[in-house]
Amino acid sequence: MLFSLVKKDFLIVKKYVGIMLVASFLIPPVMLWRTPEAAGAMGFTLAVIFSIFMLTQYVSLKEYQYPKATTLLCALPYPRKMIVLSKYCFCLIIYAACCLIFGIDTLIFPGLGIFDIRMAAIIFLVITILLSFYFPALYKLGYEKAKFLFVIVIMASPILSAFLFKPENAVRFEFLNTLSTTKILITGIIVSLAAFSISAILSIRFFEKRDLT
Amino acid sequence: MDPILEVSGLNKRYGDFALKDISFCLPEGCITGFVGINGAGKTTTLRSILGLTNKVSGSIKFFGTDMDGNENKVKDRMGIVLDEGCFYDELTLSEMKNVIAPAYKNWCEQDFTEYLERFSLNPKQKINTLSKGMRMKYALALALSHKAELLIMDEPTNGLDPLVRSQLLNILKDYMAKGGKGVFFSTHITSDLEKIADMLIMIDDGQIVFQEEKDQLLDSCRIIKGSTEKLNPDTRKYFLTIEENAFGFTGITKQTSDVVEHMQDVLIERPTIEDIMLANAERRKKNVV
Repeated sequence: MLFSLVKKDFLIVKKYVGIMLVASFLIPPVMLWRTPEAAGAMGFTLAVIFSIFMLTQYVSLKEYQYPKATTLLCALPYPRKMIVLSKYCFCLIIYAACCLIFGIDTLIFPGLGIFDIRMAAIIFLVITILLSFYFPALYKLGYEKAKFLFVIVIMASPILSAFLFKPENAVRFEFLNTLSTTKILITGIIVSLAAFSISAILSIRFFEKRDLT
Repeated sequence: MDPILEVSGLNKRYGDFALKDISFCLPEGCITGFVGINGAGKTTTLRSILGLTNKVSGSIKFFGTDMDGNENKVKDRMGIVLDEGCFYDELTLSEMKNVIAPAYKNWCEQDFTEYLERFSLNPKQKINTLSKGMRMKYALALALSHKAELLIMDEPTNGLDPLVRSQLLNILKDYMAKGGKGVFFSTHITSDLEKIADMLIMIDDGQIVFQEEKDQLLDSCRIIKGSTEKLNPDTRKYFLTIEENAFGFTGITKQTSDVVEHMQDVLIERPTIEDIMLANAERRKKNVV
């Protein structure tokens, strides 16, 4: 059931999936050309944020355009919980695709550095925390209002990532170097899962209370 | 006949509108028409039954199984046809089917293919290229391809031409011919119900007005026409509603024998479902005013 619902989300945005795959492939080399000092991490962060938020936003837009299609899905034996969880899975799949694409990028463009699991865990943490705010807002406030949150994330992400990965700010992340990869990985995964779980519980609660027209 | 669906004490509030203590049951083997004017509460009732809106109170049982706690099991045995715009227009018929089919345990691909062939629908066609009638047929193909025991339809004939409506009614007859099934469909186009319904339930202003077998209901009511001179405070009581003009009056009564006894030289005609529905709605409106 969950797989069918995730597949549904990809089907309704199938026109944009190809574009986002190309964009997530091109963003890191473009960053390498523009800001070579932090191209790897910054390029990957931007690729992930753009891909996940743009595709999620397109899915929300389609569901906003066809509200009765969601009503029909809820009238079928699909639990509302599954419909909400499929959105989280949809994002996880896009994240996995971005990791794979960035891995290929690093093989083609050595200047991007090595794509290690530490970077993947940190970016995963950032993304899950952003999504953990976005989905409950979407289910509570609706597409129109949640769109503002999305706009803020998209507009702030280049500025934020540029700030975070500037050499003069690197000192602030020095503590990460003192931690072992395993610790970063475990902490990142635990915090991400906790944020996702709380977020999913809230989203499910909001969606189950909603009267569908 | 065993009840296929029992609704009792259903209450729901939507701003100024409320469903008030809705109770009815659908017998097995019957096509039940759910009638009422626009805004009477038909769609809200159907959506409450399907768990699309949160009811305040009440119970819904399907073949004796309570919906609460068994919603998905129960929905697995229902076919649903909602009003227009329930599909993602940019998907093909086959893609939309792939979204819907996995929800059902008893999905039958062969039945679906047969329905598409019968309705001359191409699975590779995009939904946005379908006419209104074809969309309805497609919705029916989806609703009938998983061995559903109860078909729930919300205004299925709305906006369809007479030919497509007639085809739809034939499909419902074929479906019912298999036995052990039920159809519950809301409409305000009562001429369709004249042809096909066994049972009628009327809702008005969020309250059930009547639940009766169609033939019994049509037999129990009569249209009376005559001169306004025949009307007096006593005879007026026999009527659900009376319309008066310069040529006389037209009224609907459930007390035909009293009318015949006390009002001579009047014309008696058989009413349609629409006549009865409107008479009840107008009477209730007058009582409220």
